[in-house]
Amino acid sequence: MSARRAGGAILVFTALATLGASVLAPHSIDARFAGLLNAPPTAIHVRDDAGNWRAPFIYPWKRVSQLEQQYEADRSAPIPLMWLTAGHLAQSSDDARAPLLLLGADSFGRDVFSRLLFGARLSLGLSLLAAVGALLIGGLAGGIAGYLGGTVDDAMMRASDFVLVLPAMYVALALRSMMPLQLPARTVFLLLTGIFAIIGSPFITRGVRAIVRTERTLDYAAAARSLGAGHVRVLTRHLLPATRGFMVVELTLLLPAFIVAEATLSYVGLGFPDTMASWGTMLQDASSISAFADFPWLLSPAAAMFIVVFALNLTLQRGSRGLHYERPM
Amino acid sequence: MASDEVPQLNKLPANNLAMSSYTAVIRRKFARKINVHDRFARTFDGSVFWPLSQLLTGHSRNLRGLLANALAVTCIGVACGRTPAPGGTGNATSTNVAAPARGGELLVSIRTEPQSFSRFAHADATTDLVNYLTQARLVRINRNTFEVEPWLAESWTRSADGSSYTVKLRPNVTFSDGHPFTSADVEFSLALAYDVKGGGPIIGEGLEVGGKPIKAVAPDPLTVVITFPAVYAPGMRIFDDLPIVPKHKLEAALKAGTFTEAWSLSASLTDIAGLGPFVISSYQPGQRLVFARNERYFRRDASGIQLPYLDRIILDIVPDQSAQMLRLEAGQSDMLADEVRQEDYSRLKRAADAGRVQLFDLGVSLAPDSFWFNLKAGAFAKDPRSGWIQRDELRRAISLAVDRKAYLDTVSLGAGVPVFGLVTPASRKWYSPEVPQTPHDPARARQLLASIGLTDRNGDGLLEDARGTPARFSISTQKGRTAFERGAVVIRDELKKIGVTVDVVLLEGNALVGRLASGQGYDAALFQLGVTDPEPATQLALWLSSGPFHVWNSGAKTPTPWEKQIDDLMARQISTLDEAERQRLFVEVQKIFAEHLPILNFAAPTIFAATSSRVANLTPSVVRPQFLWAADTIAIKR
Amino acid sequence: MFWYVIRRLVFAAFLVFAVSSASLIVARLAPGDYAVGAMGLNATPEAMRELRARLGLDRPIAEQYVDWLSRAVRFDFGRSLANGRPVIELIAESAANTAILAATALFLATLIGLPLGVFSGSKPRGVVPAAVRTASLFLLSMPPLLTSLFLVFFAARTGWFPIAGMSSIGGGFLDLLQHMVVPVGALTLPLIAMFERLQSQATSEVIDQPFVIATLARGVPRTRVLWRDALKAALRPIASVYGLVVGTLLSGSFAVEVITAWPGLGRLMLDALRARDVYLVAGCAAAASVFLAAGTLFSDLALVLVDPRASE
Repeated sequence: MSARRAGGAILVFTALATLGASVLAPHSIDARFAGLLNAPPTAIHVRDDAGNWRAPFIYPWKRVSQLEQQYEADRSAPIPLMWLTAGHLAQSSDDARAPLLLLGADSFGRDVFSRLLFGARLSLGLSLLAAVGALLIGGLAGGIAGYLGGTVDDAMMRASDFVLVLPAMYVALALRSMMPLQLPARTVFLLLTGIFAIIGSPFITRGVRAIVRTERTLDYAAAARSLGAGHVRVLTRHLLPATRGFMVVELTLLLPAFIVAEATLSYVGLGFPDTMASWGTMLQDASSISAFADFPWLLSPAAAMFIVVFALNLTLQRGSRGLHYERPM
Repeated sequence: MASDEVPQLNKLPANNLAMSSYTAVIRRKFARKINVHDRFARTFDGSVFWPLSQLLTGHSRNLRGLLANALAVTCIGVACGRTPAPGGTGNATSTNVAAPARGGELLVSIRTEPQSFSRFAHADATTDLVNYLTQARLVRINRNTFEVEPWLAESWTRSADGSSYTVKLRPNVTFSDGHPFTSADVEFSLALAYDVKGGGPIIGEGLEVGGKPIKAVAPDPLTVVITFPAVYAPGMRIFDDLPIVPKHKLEAALKAGTFTEAWSLSASLTDIAGLGPFVISSYQPGQRLVFARNERYFRRDASGIQLPYLDRIILDIVPDQSAQMLRLEAGQSDMLADEVRQEDYSRLKRAADAGRVQLFDLGVSLAPDSFWFNLKAGAFAKDPRSGWIQRDELRRAISLAVDRKAYLDTVSLGAGVPVFGLVTPASRKWYSPEVPQTPHDPARARQLLASIGLTDRNGDGLLEDARGTPARFSISTQKGRTAFERGAVVIRDELKKIGVTVDVVLLEGNALVGRLASGQGYDAALFQLGVTDPEPATQLALWLSSGPFHVWNSGAKTPTPWEKQIDDLMARQISTLDEAERQRLFVEVQKIFAEHLPILNFAAPTIFAATSSRVANLTPSVVRPQFLWAADTIAIKR
Repeated sequence: MFWYVIRRLVFAAFLVFAVSSASLIVARLAPGDYAVGAMGLNATPEAMRELRARLGLDRPIAEQYVDWLSRAVRFDFGRSLANGRPVIELIAESAANTAILAATALFLATLIGLPLGVFSGSKPRGVVPAAVRTASLFLLSMPPLLTSLFLVFFAARTGWFPIAGMSSIGGGFLDLLQHMVVPVGALTLPLIAMFERLQSQATSEVIDQPFVIATLARGVPRTRVLWRDALKAALRPIASVYGLVVGTLLSGSFAVEVITAWPGLGRLMLDALRARDVYLVAGCAAAASVFLAAGTLFSDLALVLVDPRASE
């Protein structure tokens, strides 16, 4: 019980953080700080060097070497933070020269924390929607295939195999070429949701089909039919709920895969415009040895993804009683 | 759900005899196992944290496993904390050894597989590298000084009118299979370059003057008379592109029309003979190419030792930049085939300070990043922006508005110089400070834009034209090239300050090149126009309005007056034999270019390269391949 | 059973045909083509025309397709546009390399992932099962690119394993094993996580069922119940996706293969896609569908074996 509550709390917190990004994030998505490329996170201190307690402040970064991207904290000039000003929860009082970089800056000089929050809307929204879509498509297709069996089953499985094996990159390229040069973000969002829902469905179709095939032979299904339930009702009310556990696991598998796939598809041009941040592209920028070995804060979207997936898992997984036979003595 | 309907069996009290006696049996068996009195065994009814219970009961199976894991984890931790031992010995800066010794092998990481072993069939980077290593040319352009050096051609004399050269070939040179090298091979190679069956366009196009081929006649085995269709000032320089291939191996294939398969990847390696320092000894598809020393190589060093110094060169195919870097740092490879990216500089600097790697600052690149608008006539015919988007003033305004220092800082981390034209200071002979350098002046940029009708008419800070169309265009560039992505973002941010909105469109490589080549489907592009030779005559495809590389307006049927002027100047520049006059004419071309700005250039990055510290006697160059262009003089330190 | 297999083989052949045709057609619709990619920006239109004519790319698409089809039924899938080698040869080489990785990864993942899943599914409370579950979720949320990079970095730092490539010069079997560690690790870790999650979920569902409690009540030891009786029923979801996993593993993961420089099918297909080498792409898609069909046939048969309730 408490695990589920903890998971739920994390999810609610994530949702609030995502929705309130414009207040929580100190900067906008494309605010660049040209002198702070790949700068480390600025730690918030409350005690200064002399040991006195002060209002929370930060030390600005001083660039030691431009080519080597090394920075050093300038401990002689503590910059206090401003709270609840200009529509932001917290900001540095000298934002232009010493910005508050809670998770450092990326290779363009943009604040990673702000991009994380704003990007959560895009990435989590897209992946959740696409995952739900994949679960729906896969659930229906697998359910029908498992229930009816025979040729229908074979045909649907081959169709899902076809979807799995077709080179998605070509399809994406072909789609991209048919569209105007500048794609509005909404079109990209809908397109990607559709593509991911279709591409993610084969695994679900197979699993659901296998489960439904065995469940339809069980007694309770026969009982439901004998009580006069039609095929659709038996399928949706009685058989598909048996796949709930499987679907939950697949959800946790699909979410990170879709976030990464969004970045992969951006390579063929089917990506969001540069003014929108997404976790997939942030991780892609971090995917080089110089990035994650020297600037590990660039990997924060992976940590955020893990937290979300973990929380989802805690919330949705129904625990069992475990394999023990209690001896009451 | 099935389990919902199951009664809670395990919550029922076990009041039956079977259960209670079963429990008792278990307890007694347990007590006997651990030799503890039955009463004490009851204490183990509840669950105890298992390592403790294992310990207490002597069931150490799992405990042994736990200890083994702990040991393994400590070992891993110790190993991770251990820094890899430094590889090389000498200091990180010197590359020249007193007397390079023969022997040793060089491990190079390359990105892609070769598409062929013949430079006539393909022009990709690895095939070109194979060509450098296995074939030789008549003359060689020294990639450091960009001067022409005699190579297979020992000496040459120019005729009085300047359109023909009598070339004396080096005597006693043999191919790697022992067959003697004669002028017939030169004749054959030149004919091959033009032959369509032999792959013609790849090399042949670069060997034409005014669209006409060069003729070669071989009066005797060691002399070739080369006749150009018109006076060609660079002269023999043009032959740096032509590998001299053995006639005896390839003539039959050419006649039979199977030339493209003759030296393709499926060919037998013993069929491939050349005059270069190495021969291909093995090819494992997808993995590596191994080159062995050509024992019949014609060059010797100053002290008479036969080159090359190296026994073997191994090209490992490693597509990923991070993996290449790690191999270099760890000592598993000796060099990268290409330059190092600015982002990787700090890691390599640390490795260089530790003595494992040598880092080279090769100076400013020859090819700056290029930004151009689609200036094809009619490209914006139905577009409401057609009144201003192709105007010179817009481009001049952009050149004034973009702060080149900010561009350098973001794109190449400050390593580089601002440039104002296609010719960078790396091109020592052709760069001229006379070419006007635009200052950073956003106010003047706004004035220029106002002069073509773009002003802020509604006070929102953004410019619109007379009909209310916002001043907005898109820059297309290649996704995955981080330098371009950053550059496009810098241009966007700088132009936002003067009220022009830019959309950055990232496209896939092939799709982007398709749009650029066809001249349709893009507003403006940010790309790099590769340059390997600063000599302007080799870049005619770019400068001439009829040239295919005239990217802003390729295939122009009606060139603008200034483009005609450039055509005229370039034609004169090629046919004048006076070096000073040539330079003056080219400076004129650059000035016209700077006035009309068909291509805008912002910065040229500094090129860095790195090798392991065991490699010596390197001659680095600012163009690719940085070290392997002079592979015959590379040596391994002893 | 016999007719079932025959029917599946017919469908598989149809799938191969459909996928390769679709990829050829879609390749035509995609922007750019091989000539543009090979010759670049500075090629004259005449040169590109000549290249296209030489490669047969300027013919109408119907004619190209019919020509390809007529050769494909004779198992001649054409030649790669880039290097002229027969497509079958290229695919066979790369598929063999990928198969080495796939087989090892699958074996290890099944060996480690399934038991871990059973273990964590049977104990809903406890530190170790929770740690196993958390580790799985962590591995699942890491992008494959990052996992491979991290392993390569680890290999570089410790110096225990070679960093990239499939073999060293003159290396033997032991050398191959050393080179295999990093790519197999990169493939296996997410697979272990996936198997563990699926198996854990299935196990925790199965052990709530009455037959398990009945078996326990009869006095069958707990371990035997878990690892024999419950496992057979719980293998159902994994057995159903096993075929897909086999199929996708055999088609190669390009993220892993690019970073570890393993010359496999994933990398081959990615390079072919980028270069618009249409016949090679069609061949790779056909190979992938063959692997997928074989994998799913195997898994469907295994499913019937594992869970007798799945009637045919």
